[in-house]
This record gives sequence, structure tokens and C-alpha cells, in this order.
Amino acid sequence: MIRIGIVRPLAVAALFAAPIFMDRYTAHVAVLALIFAIVAVGLSLVMGFAGQVNLAQAAFFGAAAYSASILTTQQHWSPWAAAPVAILVATAMAVVCGLPALRVQSHYLGIVSLGLAVAFSSLLTNARFTGGASGLFGIPPIELPGVDMTDDYNFYYLALTALLAVGAFALFVANTTLGRRLEAMRDDTVAAAACGIEIPYYRLTAFVLAGLCAGVAGVLYAHFVRYVSPDTFSLNAMFLLLAMVIIGGQDSIWASAVGAILLIAARNLLSGIQAYQQLVYGALIVATVVFAPRGLGGTTDLVARRLGIRLPRLPLPIPRPAAPLPQAVPARGRAAGGTALEVVAVGKRFRGLNALSDVTLEVAVGEIHGIIGPNGSGKTTLFNVVSGIYRPSGGKVRLRGRDVTRRRSHQLARLGMGRTFQNLRLFRRLTVLENVMVALDRDPVWEHLRYVVAPWSVWSLERRRRARGLDLLRRMGLDEVADVAAVNLPYGRQRQLEIARAVGGDADLLLLDEPAAGLNAAEMEVLKSTIRQVRDAGVTVVLIEHNMGLVMSLCERITVLAHGRVIASGSPVDVSTDQAVVEAYLGAAFEGSKAV
Amino acid sequence: MIWFLQTAVGGLSIGAVYALVALGFSIVYRTMGLVNFAHADVVMIGAYVTVTFFLTARLPFGVALVLAVVLTGALGVGIERVLRPLESRDLNLMLIGTIGFGIVLESVAILVWGSTGTAVPAPIPNVPLHAGGVVVTTYQLLIVAVSAVVMGMLYLFLDRTKVGTAMQAAAMDRVAATAMGVNVGASNALAFGIGSAIAAVAGAMVGPLLYVSPGMGASIGIKGFAAAILGGFGNIPGAIAGGLIFGLIESFSSGQLSAYSDLVTFVVFAAAMVLRPTGIFGERTADRA
Repeated sequence: MIRIGIVRPLAVAALFAAPIFMDRYTAHVAVLALIFAIVAVGLSLVMGFAGQVNLAQAAFFGAAAYSASILTTQQHWSPWAAAPVAILVATAMAVVCGLPALRVQSHYLGIVSLGLAVAFSSLLTNARFTGGASGLFGIPPIELPGVDMTDDYNFYYLALTALLAVGAFALFVANTTLGRRLEAMRDDTVAAAACGIEIPYYRLTAFVLAGLCAGVAGVLYAHFVRYVSPDTFSLNAMFLLLAMVIIGGQDSIWASAVGAILLIAARNLLSGIQAYQQLVYGALIVATVVFAPRGLGGTTDLVARRLGIRLPRLPLPIPRPAAPLPQAVPARGRAAGGTALEVVAVGKRFRGLNALSDVTLEVAVGEIHGIIGPNGSGKTTLFNVVSGIYRPSGGKVRLRGRDVTRRRSHQLARLGMGRTFQNLRLFRRLTVLENVMVALDRDPVWEHLRYVVAPWSVWSLERRRRARGLDLLRRMGLDEVADVAAVNLPYGRQRQLEIARAVGGDADLLLLDEPAAGLNAAEMEVLKSTIRQVRDAGVTVVLIEHNMGLVMSLCERITVLAHGRVIASGSPVDVSTDQAVVEAYLGAAFEGSKAV
Repeated sequence: MIWFLQTAVGGLSIGAVYALVALGFSIVYRTMGLVNFAHADVVMIGAYVTVTFFLTARLPFGVALVLAVVLTGALGVGIERVLRPLESRDLNLMLIGTIGFGIVLESVAILVWGSTGTAVPAPIPNVPLHAGGVVVTTYQLLIVAVSAVVMGMLYLFLDRTKVGTAMQAAAMDRVAATAMGVNVGASNALAFGIGSAIAAVAGAMVGPLLYVSPGMGASIGIKGFAAAILGGFGNIPGAIAGGLIFGLIESFSSGQLSAYSDLVTFVVFAAAMVLRPTGIFGERTADRA
């Protein structure tokens, strides 16, 4: 899971040995670099992994530093007692900043966080209890028995320990279920919700993680520099942090930490030309996003190629018939009988347009049901209503007899509904295995408390999930590409992966939106056998398709939509001879020819 | 009552400036779904360019304003050009790119004009006019008049010209618009250019009210953002209403709260977003899959 390699242990060892070669001033700068690296790790989690723009990280950092300072200087708490409270304050602020995430689009968070950062600066410079523009002095050092913590060399090891602890925790999160869900959300919010992920809570969780890291760093900063002022946590500091993470590589914990250390070092080398520093950060941010979006961390692949190190090559895209799937949900399987999905008089209006009106259909358990109709007839809209992406304007949707009309996408996923999308929505940057593992993972949000209470149990769950994922991939004929990023798969395999992902989460109802679009003849055969196997495993299948050959040979019942209404339904033979259907597809017969 | 009206007059004049800033955000957002974080600093650059032509080169204010509009508009087009490779790939990265541009613009301003800032005299004789006990200055009237003209021109452009219609088409469906012969890249560049040109007007008009400094962007920008969102992001009438509302909020919360005006702004708009995420008039944006 985590490939350690040789460079990283060496880097850590070098960090331990480094103070030997440092003069007092360098050691001081080095401690600052380590502290900023901790803040950057938090920013990397929220921005790089969760894809949420956070411009308040410096404010969270400052909230913790100021809390620690106020508690120790004005309330005379011991630093150790103040530290948890300070971290809590930073985290609480992150929660406040993330709260709008429960309601709004993610790009608003960037603005909310910027607003919070500006407001926080204005509070620091104007309030009396923060010491105004001059800040707070006389913060006591951290007390450790027998160790002089005013000594920069000693503090170096405390900061390094903290960085390694925070970094290890961040890596642990990033490489297990929580991090995977954050990344799934970043890559495709709609698909993540369709895999059962409650997007708003994960946005909030990302902010909490960022706040925790900033909190730890803030406490260290206050007791190291022993003086806090608004400048340290201003917007300029935020931009420096942003530069660290973007230039280092936001989607890697390691690269972000390295970026922080590099930029603090650079800041001290360039201290003579202070006025140009910010210009350089800004220009580097622009250059990085345009030319090397993954930052320095992303350039290692390029370097490796230059050095002639061969990267794993993609297997040829030979489609392979899938092996039988395990009986997915035997208890709810075909033997149970009854209806899997009922759509009753559903309507959907977009402003003035009636996309769906009075659509009624019933899908029996274990059936392969086709939905066809000319382009624009409302097929995908129907799927979006059924899978909770749109709210219907009227009517009812029932899943195995249960009214689910106003359920959200992630709730429906947890009730056993899996779906694919007309224009592929994979988690692009995750590997094939990770894509499937996101779907297999049906733990509720509060299960993430394991990370704090029993981290080891996260690992064992992870191992089991991985084994299940590999098993599913083998049956779907995708196992040899398990470690390839989804975006790098050939098109046909991406389609296959999307089906695997949709089945993965114990779905007993599978909605396929044009699964055959763009497939060649051989891939089409694989698709057919896959769909049959999925059904044989006890899953009910509803598919939208334009390929009539596929629909007629696979489906037991077909519903035809035109202009948002059901114009026919029945067996393939009934439907294909229905006058209304023929007219919808080919147009009405000529007036004159009617007489014949 | 007179106090109330007097405060409202002050709020509306600064609100007109916020509305202009909000319009600049909105036109880029509705065209490409991008939040342009450099916008606040473009306003600042616009203010400085005007000041330079007006005070240093001693040109008439109107001429300085027109020059600033042209140069700042070109700056906006330039920003879009540099970031264009990210347009169809990753809007989040593009957003970070605009933050990077904001940082660059601010530091350029410090290097060129210094970090202390400049006070700007009003370009017209600032005569107080009395109307029923309420005092309105001629400069306040000028701000409102100029803002109204800009808003009217923007409306006519988007609604009544072929290019404006093409831009709206590109905003609604990139691919379809391309198929109809609309150059989407040019349309985005135009959105950036127009947004920045309006920013220059906002910067030029706000100069004499406030103090022109490299850091002025943050405070005005955040209120412009907040205004754009409050009115419904991407919604042109919404941006105007939002700007006026924030001007009024600021005006009425001044006094003992003036040091915290950024804080008050933040609290109001964070609350507004939680209560009504799509703003008062609803969101209008390029793509929602």
C-alpha cells in the first residue's frame, strides 16, 4: 500500500542528523521550516487530497498560536495544559470555516475561507486581548523535565518529532479509507455520492484535518518564537503556505512538507531582496499550475524516465470475458421475487421545460430492463431522478417497495443502488483497485473515529477490503491493471471498471447509462456477458442503450420514452412492432401512404 | 430619520463600487465557472493606473480613467491567456493560478508604487448638496452615475449585441457554442477583459473615497466577492443588489464597529450562504453536470 523505498528513510535520517551541521541561526530557521511543514501537511490534505480550496490555513495556524499565547501569558496556564485547548480552537475554527460546506458548492469554500482569513487578521490587529498590531510577548517555553526548551537545537528535535507524527498520521489517513474517500470526492463529486459518500461531511472532515495540523504547528510556533503578531498569520503568510504546497506538490504529503522546507530556506537566502520574494512566490505558483500541475513531487516520474528507469507499462487492452461473479446478495436475489424498482407518475421540470411527465414503470427483481428512446427523450433525466441526483417535481420512486422519492444519491447507494454514467465518471487519479475499493467501502462516517480510537483496526479492515476488491477485479477481468490510474486505462476498460465499481458496493439494482457507447464489437461481447453475469449473481439491471442489437438480445422487458413520456412498454418483440415506437424513431408515415 | 437617510447615502455610494467589483467577478464566473481570485488585485491595479495618469501625468481624470480601463482590461486578457491551458483541464488549478496572479500583482504594485499608499483628491469639486437635511456630495453622485452607466452598458452588451449573445451561448454550452462558430477561448478572454475593465472603473472611482494602497484589494475584493455571492453568483442584477446591500451594511455598522467591518462582512455573508446557498436571485453559471 505505502511504498517506502529508500529515499524517504534516508531523508528522515538526514533530518535527524542535520543539526550537527547547523549554526545557531540555521537551527532557528530549520525549526521554523519544520513547523511550516506541519501546516503544509494539513493544507495538502484539504487541498491536494480533498480538492477543497482553503485560504484560511494561516488563520487556523494563528488561532492556535494566539490561543496558546493568551492562555499561558494572561491565564497562566502551563503550556502542556494550553496546547490541547489551542489545537481545539484551531480545529473549531476550521469547522466554522467548513460549515458552509454542508450546504454550498465547493468553490465557495475558497471565498468563505478567504473571508475568514481577512476577518481573522482584522480581529488580531484590532482587538485588545490579542495585543493589537504589536502582538503578544513573553510566552513561556515548553517545559520538558531535564531539557532546556529555549535551546533551538533541543526544540529542533521536538518539532521534528511532531512533524513525523503528524506526517505519519496524514500518510495513514491518505492511504486508507478516509483518504480514498476524500480523493474520490475530489475527482468526481457526483460519482462519489453515487458510491455512498456523504459529500458535505467529507468536506468538513477535510477542514478538520487541516485545522488539527495547523493547531499542532501553532502551539509549537508560539512556544518556539515566544512572540506572536498579526503579520505572521496574515494573508501573505497564507500565500506563502499556498506556494509551499503548490510548488512542492499538493497531492503528496511528502512533497508538501519538502516544499515548505525549501521555501523557508529560500526565504532566508533571499531575505536581502524581500520586496521580490512575494513576486517570486506568486510567479512560481502560476508557473507551477500551468507547466507542472503536480508540483516538484510530480516531476519525479519525469526524472525517472530521463534516467532510464522503466515505469510499469500498461498491459495491452485485450478484453477478456469476466469470470462468474459471486452471488452478490443471495438473500435479496431473484428467489425473493417482487419488484426491484417502481417509478410511479414521475415528472421533472427544468424551468419551463417538462423533461419527464407522468413516467411510470416497474422492474421485477432479477430482470434486465431496457429503457430506449430517441435522443432527448428523458432517459438520463429519469436515471438522475431515480438515483437521487435530481429531485422529481412529482410522483414516487420505490426501491423494493420502499418509498425513496426524496432520498439523496449517497443514501440510495447505501440502499443497494449502483449506477454508471453516460460520459464516464471514474475517480480519474485513483487506481483501478482504489476505484473499486471506494465502492466496496460502505462504512458510515462515524466509523472514521477508528482513526483516533483504534488505528490498527483500520488496517485490518483495509486488508480485507483490498482482498475483496482484487477478487472483484479478477472476476471482471481487470486484475492485471489493478494498480493503473483509472484515467490511463483504455476506453473500453474504463467502461468495464465503471460497471465493476457500480456492482462493487453490494448493489442489487444496477442502473447502466449507455454502457455500450463507443465500444467495439469484441468489447460489446464482454459487456453482454458481464451484464448477464451480474444478473445471474442476483442483481437487477436497468439499462439505457441506443444499440438495438444489445437491447433486443439482453433485455427481457423494455420501456420506450419519447418527449419525456412512456410511449410503450413490454417484451422486445412487442415494443419493436409498436406503431408509436416506430413513429418515434422513424417519424410518422406519410398521409398518402396511410391509405395503402 | 435624517441620520438614517444620511447613512444610506454613504452606503449606496460605496455600495455602487462594490457592485462594480461584484460584476467583474460575476461576468467571469458565469462565462467559465471560475472564481477569479486575482480580481481584487486587478481593482487595485486599476486604481493605481488611474492615479498615476491623473496625479503624476496630470491628465484629466476622464482620460486617466479611460486609459486605465484599456490597460487593465488588457491585463485581464493577459491573465486569461497565461492560464488558458488549464481551462478545459482543471478549474481548481486555474483558480489557484488566479491566486498566484493576485500575489504577483500585489508585489508588483509594491515594487512600482511603494507600500505606503497614496491619498487621491476628488477629480471634481466636491460640493456638498443639501436635500431635505441630507447631505450628498457631487462626487458621490458621480460614483453612482458612472456605476449606473457601466452597468447599463454591460447589460446592453450582453443582451443586445451579437458578441454578447455569443458569450452567453459559450457560457451555457461550450461544445455546442464551438460547433456554432463561437470561439470559446476568445469568449473567455473577453470575459476576463471586460471584468478587468470594470474593475479598473471600480478602482478609479473608489480611490478618492478610500486610500489607494497595494493591500486595498483584500478588503474591497472580499466585499465584492461577498456581494456577488449574496446576489447569486454569476447573476448580474444580483451582483448589483449584493454590492448595494454590502455598502449599506458597512455604512450602518460603522462607528464603534468600523475596525471590524471585514469581520461583520464575513459573518453576514457566511450566514447568508448557510441560509440561502444560491444567493437572493439564484446562481447562474457555465456548467453544472
